[in-house]
Amino acid sequence: MSGATRFHAGIDVETVERIAEERNEPKWLRAKRLDALEALSDLDYPDVIQTPGRTWTNLADLDFEALVEPFDQTEEKDWVADDQATVVPFHEALNDADLEALVKEHFGSVVDPEENRLTALSTALFTTGTVIYVPSNVDAEDVKIRTTMNGTSLFNYTLVVTDQNASVTILERQDTGADAATEERYYSGIVEAAVGENAYVQYGSLQDFDQSTYNYTLKRGVTDTYATLNWIEGNIGSQLTKTGVSTLLEGESSETKIVGAFFGHEDQHFDLDSKVWHRAEHTTADLVTRGVIDDEARSVYEGVQDVGRDAWDTSSYQRENTLMLSDESEADASPKLIINNHDTEASHSATVGQIDQEDLFYMEGRAIPEQAAKNMLVEGFFVPVLEEVEVDELREDLEERIHERLH
Amino acid sequence: MATIELKNVHAEVAEGDEQILHGVDLEVKSGEIHALMGPNGSGKSTTSKVIAGHPAYDVTEGDILLHLEADDFDGIDEIPESARTWDLLELEPNERAALGVFLAFQYPAEIEGVTMTNFLRTALNAKLEERDELLFGEDEDEDEDDEADAGYETSPMEGPADEGEVGVAEFQQLLSEKMELLDMDAKFAQRYLNAGFSGGEKKQNEVLQAAILEPTIAVLDEIDSGLDIDRLQDVADGINALRDEQGTGVLQITHYQRILDYVEPDTVHIMLDGEIAMEGGPELAEKLEDKGYDWVREQVYNAA
Repeated sequence: MSGATRFHAGIDVETVERIAEERNEPKWLRAKRLDALEALSDLDYPDVIQTPGRTWTNLADLDFEALVEPFDQTEEKDWVADDQATVVPFHEALNDADLEALVKEHFGSVVDPEENRLTALSTALFTTGTVIYVPSNVDAEDVKIRTTMNGTSLFNYTLVVTDQNASVTILERQDTGADAATEERYYSGIVEAAVGENAYVQYGSLQDFDQSTYNYTLKRGVTDTYATLNWIEGNIGSQLTKTGVSTLLEGESSETKIVGAFFGHEDQHFDLDSKVWHRAEHTTADLVTRGVIDDEARSVYEGVQDVGRDAWDTSSYQRENTLMLSDESEADASPKLIINNHDTEASHSATVGQIDQEDLFYMEGRAIPEQAAKNMLVEGFFVPVLEEVEVDELREDLEERIHERLH
Repeated sequence: MATIELKNVHAEVAEGDEQILHGVDLEVKSGEIHALMGPNGSGKSTTSKVIAGHPAYDVTEGDILLHLEADDFDGIDEIPESARTWDLLELEPNERAALGVFLAFQYPAEIEGVTMTNFLRTALNAKLEERDELLFGEDEDEDEDDEADAGYETSPMEGPADEGEVGVAEFQQLLSEKMELLDMDAKFAQRYLNAGFSGGEKKQNEVLQAAILEPTIAVLDEIDSGLDIDRLQDVADGINALRDEQGTGVLQITHYQRILDYVEPDTVHIMLDGEIAMEGGPELAEKLEDKGYDWVREQVYNAA
């Protein structure tokens, strides 16, 4: 465990106690933090994607000693809430008895803090976050959480809970402050979503950090009967991103979509995985990711559809397409299908390719200059995923970022 | 009166050295309709592609010239004398298109995420802008440079698709008029370019694009294949309108006599083995229908 020692410089019981003390946290949370801290050194880094002959991302090589500064977690956060929903800063939620009970019930129930070394680290050190709660029969729209990171490190936690028949669309976005120092930074975010019976959640994220930021995020949700959980995963910024988005389809007739869009350039590195576990009858999943990489950027995608033994009448679809705009960029994609129940309709596909020369010639034949034609093709390439986005700010900003990157 | 002139054009596949065209001579003038017929593999499609500048083919010998007269472009009083003859082989595909060379594709590309309206307005504005540049050398420093290094420098947000010469409202008007003329459903305007179109709808869409871009010379590669009789009539009306109203010179590549009943050619060229083997009036197409390419081969072979 050579990497383990790196965390120990300044990351100890005293550090965690101080974080909890300063925030006047309840005992149960303190205990979870300390458990995570204790487990830390025995845990492995998150699984990274491996394709034949290649490990794309080596998290153990990151200089966590420099990247992790527990007491330099400055940020600006702003919340836009639909007044139908409860949207409160994490520590404020703990001051409300009902909300505290809600948090206590769900915290760490979807993403085990001890799932891997980085989730444990995040649990031990997080200083900020948001609790979104939508009561029964409430229809809330356009909940927005905007985080601007200013310090060396930021550990963030988001909890989304919806009761029966509730509905909510959410955008959570992260970027880097204009005044942030230029040295390397580390962001770690955990999102847990518990979607109640017949409830609907679309959680969209836009990761728009500057290119000195190393980013680790894990988002996971669990669905009750007839629930729908749709994820939009937008990755534009960061030096390196390791992200996992997943849904546990636990309730009968529940559904999920995991929609991804990414655009890497220069020497950005994206390691993205989407996963769905079908664990009940009549569940449906649709995984769609589209990405573009340019310059020397690298991307690797893995999608897993796991159909359990009791998941009768499963429908599960997966498509991933990566477009490479330069000869120096590298991409791979690995769609996986694990079926333990034969009553399944499923498909999975992935393509990695360059702009179609016939498409390009067709457009040039209509007087559109080559570069403009390429740009139109790239922007058009993202349209099927952008069409899934319900929060306008997310769709428009993604479009704008894509446009900026092309021009 | 514009003329496209192919002189002794030899062409081969760019990757590999398979020669396909062995000296094609062909001339099409404004307002004329030419049919180019020939068996599969004779070089008809390759001819259309080298005219448009497809990168998969290299022209190894010969010329493709576009001759313009002073008043050939609507809206331009006088084309400068220095800009009346163009060596198309020196021009990029989009520049050829800007000068009014239009290729209707045998297999039009399906482009998802780009609506017909957006695409065609962009194309029309690009054509007008590029044409001005070619004729008058304007705007050298501005738009072209932006285009060339459309790279990764910080460039200011340009906002939504730049307006261009033809604005959104004006273009909508133009598009719906042309679609009506071709009996196309208005809903096509908001669909993605050719995505999920039937074969016939794609062909119709090629003619629509020609109607919008008002080409000087239109090369139609098997525009009549895969059309039912009603749509063939619509497409033929569209081609005749191009010739009659815009004075377009049409080079129509076809396998079938059928469309020539609706679009009567002034000249019929028959291609064999990468060369024009025989030429004649409309009656040649009928003769060909009766006697087949073996007859052409015999005639040419015996004559040689």
